[in-house]
Amino acid sequence: MKKLAIGLYVALTVALMVWGFYQAIYVAPDEQTMHEVQRIFYYHVPSAMVAFLFFAISLAGSIGFLAFRRNREDWAQISDAWALAGAEVGVVFCTVVLITGPLWGRRAWGIWWTWDARLTTTLVLWLIYVSYLLLRRFAAGPQVQTLAAVLGIFGALDVPIVYMSNRWWRTQHPAPVFGGGDDSGIKDPAMLAAFGWNVLAWLAWGILILALRYRVERQQQKFAAQEAQQALNA
Amino acid sequence: MDERAILDHQFTVAAYAITWAIQLGYVAWLAFKWRAQKREADRAARNPR
Repeated sequence: MKKLAIGLYVALTVALMVWGFYQAIYVAPDEQTMHEVQRIFYYHVPSAMVAFLFFAISLAGSIGFLAFRRNREDWAQISDAWALAGAEVGVVFCTVVLITGPLWGRRAWGIWWTWDARLTTTLVLWLIYVSYLLLRRFAAGPQVQTLAAVLGIFGALDVPIVYMSNRWWRTQHPAPVFGGGDDSGIKDPAMLAAFGWNVLAWLAWGILILALRYRVERQQQKFAAQEAQQALNA
Repeated sequence: MDERAILDHQFTVAAYAITWAIQLGYVAWLAFKWRAQKREADRAARNPR
């Protein structure tokens, strides 16, 4: 039953990805000023939204780990696995944002990169979570999870700054697509539909790989616990 | 197609292709890790210490 549900979810995700791609490339009309290159938007913005969501999951996991680490070891480990999975998958999506953005910017603005507030805060966010992953990978000792949780919480503080950056400061990056005042929003229904389908598709894909990453981490934790137990018994 | 349209097309294709390369590369790495863990768990179950 569980295998059937997973299979159905994977099939639904693949169908959404194909449909989203079709909508973005063949159905949505060309934007008037940027023409074809504007279609990068349909991958760039949903990737940023999913990255933000997964950094929020990492934040919740980090807080959970710090809250439970002294009294509920099992809950603390589950929280820590969510924190790591959210951070790692979030970095994957944030990497997509940081690569597709300059490709779009090169054609739209004539430059690959500029140190404006939106781009800089996004790069800082990516660097914080990459350092989180490096800490998890290379540091050793009983305090690694605690240190990582604290770093994860600091990293998540950058997410609202990234989100608000093109509202607070004048940036080269375009104005907010949603929630940026009366002028914001996608006016063309076909463009809005293509965007919506791609948000759904990338969210479904992201949840799939987040769940897989969580499962791998839980298994890793079980191996580590078994090894520790065997070392104590020896 | 003029030169601008060709470049726009190439940049769009590059963005989509790189996105998929990153996502599928990550999934492949995860699947590899998951399979290695499964093998390790099977081995541990067969030969308990």
